[in-house]
Amino acid sequence: MTYVLRRLGQAAVVLLLAYTVAYVLLAALPGDAVVARFASPELGLSPEQLSVIREAYGFDRPLWERYLESVFAFVRGDFGYSVQTGASVSTLLATALPSSLVLAAWGLGAAILLAVGIAVTATFGPRVIRRGFRSLPPLFVSIPVFFVGIVLIQVFSFRLGLIPVINATPVQALILPVATLAIPLSAPLAQVLIRSIDEVRAQPFVTVVRARGASTSWLLWRNVARNAVLPALTMAGLIFGELVGGAVVTESVFGRAGVGQLTAQAVAARDAPVLLAVVVFSAFAFVIINLLVDLAYPVLDPRLRGARR
Amino acid sequence: MPLPRPLRRVALAATAAVAAAALLAGCSAGGASSGASVNAEPVTGGTLTYLEPQTWTTLYPPSAGFYPNGGIVNNITDRLLYQDPATLELQPWIATALPEVNEDATQYTFTIREGVTYSDGTALDAANVVANIDLFGKGDSSRKLTQSEAINNYDHGEVVDATTVRFFFTAPSPGFAQAVSTINSGLVSNSTLAKTAETFGPGNATTVIGSGPFVIAAEEVGTKITLKARDDYDWAPPSREHQGRPYLDGIDLIVAAEDSVRVGTVVAGQADAARQIEAPDEAQFAAPGLALVAASTNGVNNGLSFRFRNPLLADIRVRQAIIAGIDRQDIVDTLFTANYPLATGALAKTALGYTDTSSFYAYDPVKAAALLDEAGWVPGADGIRVKDGQRLAIAFNEALPQPRSAEVVTIIQEQLAKLGIEVSLTPGDMAAQTAASLDENIVQVYHSMVGRADFDVLKSQYFSKNRNTLLNLHRADGSIGDSQLDTLLAAIASTPTAEGRTAASAAAQQYLAEQAYILPIFEEPQVFGLRGDVKGFHTESVGRPSFAEVWLDR
Repeated sequence: MTYVLRRLGQAAVVLLLAYTVAYVLLAALPGDAVVARFASPELGLSPEQLSVIREAYGFDRPLWERYLESVFAFVRGDFGYSVQTGASVSTLLATALPSSLVLAAWGLGAAILLAVGIAVTATFGPRVIRRGFRSLPPLFVSIPVFFVGIVLIQVFSFRLGLIPVINATPVQALILPVATLAIPLSAPLAQVLIRSIDEVRAQPFVTVVRARGASTSWLLWRNVARNAVLPALTMAGLIFGELVGGAVVTESVFGRAGVGQLTAQAVAARDAPVLLAVVVFSAFAFVIINLLVDLAYPVLDPRLRGARR
Repeated sequence: MPLPRPLRRVALAATAAVAAAALLAGCSAGGASSGASVNAEPVTGGTLTYLEPQTWTTLYPPSAGFYPNGGIVNNITDRLLYQDPATLELQPWIATALPEVNEDATQYTFTIREGVTYSDGTALDAANVVANIDLFGKGDSSRKLTQSEAINNYDHGEVVDATTVRFFFTAPSPGFAQAVSTINSGLVSNSTLAKTAETFGPGNATTVIGSGPFVIAAEEVGTKITLKARDDYDWAPPSREHQGRPYLDGIDLIVAAEDSVRVGTVVAGQADAARQIEAPDEAQFAAPGLALVAASTNGVNNGLSFRFRNPLLADIRVRQAIIAGIDRQDIVDTLFTANYPLATGALAKTALGYTDTSSFYAYDPVKAAALLDEAGWVPGADGIRVKDGQRLAIAFNEALPQPRSAEVVTIIQEQLAKLGIEVSLTPGDMAAQTAASLDENIVQVYHSMVGRADFDVLKSQYFSKNRNTLLNLHRADGSIGDSQLDTLLAAIASTPTAEGRTAASAAAQQYLAEQAYILPIFEEPQVFGLRGDVKGFHTESVGRPSFAEVWLDR
């Protein structure tokens, strides 16, 4: 219980730090959202008109004052309004989050399946193709995400006409983005799985189990997999960051209105309220996922039970 | 686990091969499709799928200059006057005739058409028109609504009688008639006029009510807007051939940010039209069943503004040397297509007030070198010229909304390096670019353009209190570097007659060229890629799409 409370306390500190660092960095960069939107010569506003608008946004007040105010507003659940568009940040997030969560969940799921498939084939598969599968993770991790997305669209949508990009059904709209996301995501997972399986197989107990007549599949699922999965689980928690980064690109390529695309646009326009909300949400998700991974450890490995009390 | 070196090379080669095959496939896919019949008569019905590279940000008409905003505002609102995009002539629309203007252009009287309604059923009447122009002319900073750049010297409007309105100005405002024909003056309902910057933004699109041929029926924030035709629409500009409701039942405006996806989707027949086809992709639309529309933006050309108040560029000989050292033809030939004509002056040939000043912009590297020598800039140890211990190193911004700006600057970098001038590209996103380009000590040469089909466009771009692209006005101390330039530009917007404005515009263009303040590069178009069966597509005077006469021949 105290363990959970301590973890929650840590989570709150992480969130506040993430928010503060993001706030300070955004404030330190040259230019701000009012400059990007209103001082842009495109609108042709005079300096006097600009200063009136800056006052309307409260940008003439000291930084610390605005910081404190925004922290308290955040705690109350008030994320403010996008400076670039005037839309409320909660509306933008409410629209973007479900799409991103669906993409992330399917992307991660597909990545795990792909990684397991690669790892199993690379270690237990027919001897002739093992080498090839072992080289897949380094290949997958080195292809840029946008390139994967564009090639998939060109081949499966434009060339073969299998999946429309425009006016697709929700399921159709997921297939290519999920594949795009899963390919780079599966790489570190598969890498870690292959190495763990190799290490576990080298252990003496495996020889004993084999000597007692266990088949390869028995050995794989009952003995090796259980021991090899922990490092992969840790990795799964850590690749969340990659999930977010990959989603930015994937969502831009496929025109999905998710958090990734929202972030890309907010970065370009230096839209601080939107960026701060995204940073806090990402940090929150990261903390939660890692908490879940930590809590799952004792469930998977009996040796860890009772160790933390 | 590192991949053995030979294998890694094979893997890379394989990836490259897949990519090449896919790209080739994308190129050839359009060839076989669409044997459209030759239908002479427009057909009613159908939904057009139209792709935008960026999502819209606000539907407040004075902010509709941003193309994704303008593409929507142009189709959901009507204006007092209509500007023919080909001749740039003003014609009646919601106003039944051109306005009566007093001698010094400080009073405009319009007669309003009767029976026009907004899509929420309310009337577009005299009081509503005055409320619209009052908001656009003055803005409302408490609601963060800016005033329209197109309306100058606005004082107030008055309802004279049920169908007559009059607008008053504090000083001559000859551009006003054209201003009320632009999308920045799109008329909206009384309920819409009460909105704030927030409620004009995404998430509220369906509550923005105009009287135009289309109505916003649905919105998916960040990805899609659905427009539906207004069945009872009956007040198209009288000069347009098509009256009554639009042919299309509706339009799906979808955001597709990635260039190759946008192009590929239209080529593969999954969408009907896309905006912003980059020059290298234009060739794909030469295939049968596809079409390309390059619309002129009728304003200040894509070009460079030299910040002459920076010490490096204060000497006219240095500016002249840079101009003579840049081979504009090479830039256009290398990066662009025939849809990007070489600029012959500050303004596009089709713009109001255009004067040919091309003789000032000839490529002559020998003369450039001589000018630099004469100005005392001598080659230094690393090949870059120096004078009084200072290197001739100048920074350009990246014009993010303009086509291939970074590539343009890169070519200029190579060309000027030969003369011993170092060119650098200022990095950064929109906010950083804007912040940097407001300071002549960070960005000495500013790359930009502006589309607006009125004489005032020249003033918009260079006047100290408008875009001020030359940084003639120092924002910090309020000082003016060249007051003669300001006087010449101000004359364009304050001379009441068209003849007078033409002369004022020509004088200002001549001065800009003589002083070597600018280097126009090309006339910037808006390029749309279409399926061949999309008929009747046209744009308003600065290249925003108009869907009212579009029909599908299928």
